[in-house]
Amino acid sequence: MSTPDGSINWIGLWTIIRREWSRLMRVPIQAFLAPWISALLFIFIFGFVVGGRIALIGGHRYIEFVLPGILMLNIVNAAFLQSSSQIYFSRFLRYVEETLVSPLSYAEMIAGVLCVVVARSVITALGILMIGVAFHATSIENIGEFLFWIVSVAAVFGLLGIVIGLWANNFEQLTILNVFFITPLSFIGGVFNTVNMLPGWLKWIAYVNPFFYFINGLRHSMIGFTEANEWIGVGVALGLFAVLFLSVLRLFSVGYGLRS
Amino acid sequence: MTLALHVSHLRKVYGRHGTVAVDDLSLDVRPGDFFGFLGPNGAGKSTTIHCITGIATPTSGTIEIFGVDAVKDYREARKLIGLSPQEFNVDNFARVTDIVDWMGGYFGMSKAERKARVDMLIEKFDLVPHAKKKFRELSGGLKRRVMLARAMINDPKLLILDEPTAGVDVELRRDLWRYLQELNRDGKTIFLTSHYLEEVERLCATIAIVNGGKIVRHGPKAEFVDEPGGLEAAYLRSTGAEPDHVAAP
Repeated sequence: MSTPDGSINWIGLWTIIRREWSRLMRVPIQAFLAPWISALLFIFIFGFVVGGRIALIGGHRYIEFVLPGILMLNIVNAAFLQSSSQIYFSRFLRYVEETLVSPLSYAEMIAGVLCVVVARSVITALGILMIGVAFHATSIENIGEFLFWIVSVAAVFGLLGIVIGLWANNFEQLTILNVFFITPLSFIGGVFNTVNMLPGWLKWIAYVNPFFYFINGLRHSMIGFTEANEWIGVGVALGLFAVLFLSVLRLFSVGYGLRS
Repeated sequence: MTLALHVSHLRKVYGRHGTVAVDDLSLDVRPGDFFGFLGPNGAGKSTTIHCITGIATPTSGTIEIFGVDAVKDYREARKLIGLSPQEFNVDNFARVTDIVDWMGGYFGMSKAERKARVDMLIEKFDLVPHAKKKFRELSGGLKRRVMLARAMINDPKLLILDEPTAGVDVELRRDLWRYLQELNRDGKTIFLTSHYLEEVERLCATIAIVNGGKIVRHGPKAEFVDEPGGLEAAYLRSTGAEPDHVAAP
């Protein structure tokens, strides 16, 4: 074998990426076309139907304000679904055993999953961004910052998806986090409104809600509008990534949900 | 001499109810041996294999593959093993060549190495007409061949075959036997579980019988087949069954 002791098994890592990419490309409509069409519909409704009846927010048209939030919702969903379904189905169909019996490190297995999560999220995001720009519904202030938010949020929710994929024992459990955590927190996090529009008690929930910082950061990168210091958001994203990565690494090393 | 496989006091307990699947099991397999691992359903054969290959975590005990600790130094140990499992643990929608090629990739084999090895194995197991088919489109026998090809992609020093001929036709079984004998003659160590005693008698040099998670008998094949009633009677006696229904030769 070509991998010396202790080094990174690059070919093994690339193989996980190739395998997951081929699995993803079995459902291109669901993976890419669906979020792009959904973004197009949002642009139509908020941009041309109801948008004109809503006052400017921070000097921006409503569609400009709302599109970053919609983009973030799509990224969160894409990342979470990609990793949770990959891990769950590999357990369900038992082909996770292929990787367990091979000389891959746990970090390589996790990195392989995350690479495809990030690739799917970036393609989804760039597609929505291009649609938005084409229909004059958004702009891009800082492409570097934009990519940071897409990659970091995708990685965080990719890791969260891995945890749920390891934990779930049926399809119902696979959706629990999405229904009771991701969707409510993202809506409270300022997809459709500023935090100042919320009632006082809900504002505090928004300020301790990571989604608020993610959406705020992405909105800042696209239209320059912000309601909080972006560096707090950067800290939240990197902190969550570190905690989740170490947790997932631990789950893999003890074999939680993977080994009997 | 470094043993191909050294299992010492292996114990595996499952679940909250503490079901003991393997209980203080110890065995040694010499390099180049063709080792038959027999036992009734639920005796602990597959669990032992799962512990050796990393699919299950041992509760206690040690496992060494050619002197490498299979738990502490699992990456090095995995490089030495190829596994054909009893159940099809595969992405049903993947194509045959991809399944075998991906496994080579996990083992760090270069593209050229994989290509040569995949082509050889696909031909060896008569899978050429089925190479581009999805796994789910194959018959049971063809699926078994894919499992075998996948197990051999990394040319492992220790080949573990968990009921490799279950559900395959007579022709493939004979072909496979010939191929395994060839591999063994070339020095490969083979660890085989099977319910076909004829298969074990024909192929293996050493036999161990497991029952209730423990090794109940272990020795050279001759010790078993030279007994009155042959291997079948020896097997039934070892597992606590009465060999009174053994057919006359």
